[in-house]
Amino acid sequence: MEQFFQQLLNGLAVGGIYALVALGYTMVYGVLKLINFAHGDLFTIGAYLGLTLLVSCNLSGLLGPAAAVLAVFVMVGLLVAILGCLLERTAYRPLRKANRLSAVVSALGASIFFQNAVMLIYGARFYVYPDYLRPDFTVSLFGMAVPGVRLMVIAASVLLMLALWAFIQRTRTGAAIRAVAIDQGAARLMGINVNRVISLVFFIGPGLGGAAGLMVGIYYGQIDFTMGWSYGLKAFTAAILGGIGNIPGAMLGGLLLGVIEALAAGYIAIAWKDAIAFLVLILILIIRPTGILGERTADKL
Amino acid sequence: MNIWKRILAGGALCAVALGLASPALAETIRLGLMCPLTGKWASEGQDMKNIVSLLVDETNAAGGINGKKVELVVEDDAGDPRTAALAAQKLAGAGVVAVIGTYGSAVTEASQNIIAEAGLVHVGTGSTSIRLTEKGLPLFFRTCPRDDAQGAAAAAAIVKGGFKKVALLHDKSSYAKGLADESRKALEKAGVEIVFYDALTPGERDYTAILTKLKAAAPDVVFFTGYYPETGMLLRQKKEMGWDVPMMGGDAANHQDLVKIAGADAAKGYFFISPPLPQDMDTQEARHFLEAYKARYQSVPVSVWAVVAGDAYKVVEAALAAGKTDPEEMAEWLKQLKDMPGLTGKLGFDEKGDRVGEFYRSYMVDEQGKFILLPQK
Repeated sequence: MEQFFQQLLNGLAVGGIYALVALGYTMVYGVLKLINFAHGDLFTIGAYLGLTLLVSCNLSGLLGPAAAVLAVFVMVGLLVAILGCLLERTAYRPLRKANRLSAVVSALGASIFFQNAVMLIYGARFYVYPDYLRPDFTVSLFGMAVPGVRLMVIAASVLLMLALWAFIQRTRTGAAIRAVAIDQGAARLMGINVNRVISLVFFIGPGLGGAAGLMVGIYYGQIDFTMGWSYGLKAFTAAILGGIGNIPGAMLGGLLLGVIEALAAGYIAIAWKDAIAFLVLILILIIRPTGILGERTADKL
Repeated sequence: MNIWKRILAGGALCAVALGLASPALAETIRLGLMCPLTGKWASEGQDMKNIVSLLVDETNAAGGINGKKVELVVEDDAGDPRTAALAAQKLAGAGVVAVIGTYGSAVTEASQNIIAEAGLVHVGTGSTSIRLTEKGLPLFFRTCPRDDAQGAAAAAAIVKGGFKKVALLHDKSSYAKGLADESRKALEKAGVEIVFYDALTPGERDYTAILTKLKAAAPDVVFFTGYYPETGMLLRQKKEMGWDVPMMGGDAANHQDLVKIAGADAAKGYFFISPPLPQDMDTQEARHFLEAYKARYQSVPVSVWAVVAGDAYKVVEAALAAGKTDPEEMAEWLKQLKDMPGLTGKLGFDEKGDRVGEFYRSYMVDEQGKFILLPQK
């Protein structure tokens, strides 16, 4: 039983990261019906920018580790968010009226561009976050010794997700985003600046993705320029599992995927972990083709 | 009409240019190097290129081979079998006398037949899978050991360490699975119990689920046969869990980044078997190479797999210096080669094209995170 809870927690920590990255996919899909394949690479850039800010600018020396991590969280989130906006302006907006396939190709191109840009700027070697940034304490939970940093990863991802959910549901801007997701034309007629809303979506999604990259860097320590690919793939799967275009769906999908993976590894076979996770995805899509929380297209976001 | 004239004129110009260029080419010996300059193994590939071009420059500075300069043609295989097939085709058409490379058994395998059909000598480097030399390709050689040699050495190290219950973990790559299977055979023969055998997915960050399961199997030692990035993550997360079981690895762990990834604290006591790096060797060739490498790149080689690419160049250079420019003759000459001093020890090949000789050594990570070569026997 202890092993079960241990695996559950392992899964939630991984799933929290998947969920944060999945939000970026799902939000963009919600408003533009576009899969932003470069999202995984924005996540990578977040991890690299975080390391640069922490180490090169010696923030932890100036502010102390805890405050530095917090400050870098905000800075990385903002920087990657701005990059996301630039990406939308250069790679997607000129193709807004074009065939959907063109935008997908553009997204793939942007992904390759970012990945190789990171490789050329930082080099192909692995980078490692300094160890002292990682909170080093364990919490006793139901008789299990749980590394505190894992609980903090879960807590941080849940907090960010709740904040986003509140923003979308409770504010006027959030309502505008929802309106654009439902019908761009009608939203424009109601006086909503559709372009600005789309920019905003490309601000929030990549911002969260970048923050997730920073979290992975601090928690797991090791970053490399291809890391965005595997996380991107899993997060994309999570977004579909929960119902793409649906924000609570992406959160649920991410957490669920992480837990399924951990339990499959723990109780069936590690080598079959991914196969089982995708099998569950297929089964859910057979029963509910729009994903767990996906509804009619009109109600996306 | 006009366009056709232009095309014809352009074609004629090209032909003239080629005609002028080809006598110039005949003065140099072109040598192909295939390595992963991009992709997951880019750091290995860039080291391979650095090392081989360093040796090529040395050869050229000393007047070339029998008066001919060596020209290195480098193709990127991206660490990916599909790209490797394309790279091999490009090299086969580039007028090279032999091809060196590449890193990764699966990647080398994808290029093997293409290079064989082009009738070129192919010297594999970081490609230890057994079947590469069991196919009977007459022109294929490798300067790295085979998995079964390593499996036997790993089993010997486990038995010597007095471990009774072993957990085997690989990463599904043909290299790591081959090594795990060979070790399993050798261990079962030696009467050591295998309490766990499974595979992880490389490239992930979180291996806690796997470690939780491993811990339940209660092994004396965990033998992960895969590469250093995953090894580093496993060590780090193992320490985070507070589980202090010894862990060992194979030669793919022989990379200084392992300690960076794991942290010196978590890596301490980790041991692995590998051919030794030049900085751990006391031969004249190793010292000379190390000095030249340090002078140009201001660092020491971090991975033995890039260094065996240097050894591959050494044997091809020796064959060419002996006048063996024809691939068949070169292959015959290489199969007779014995005890040639190389960067990682003595070089020589058997009938299958495998490197002969014992050269596995045990390394252990010390408190400072340094790889310490353990004394032999």
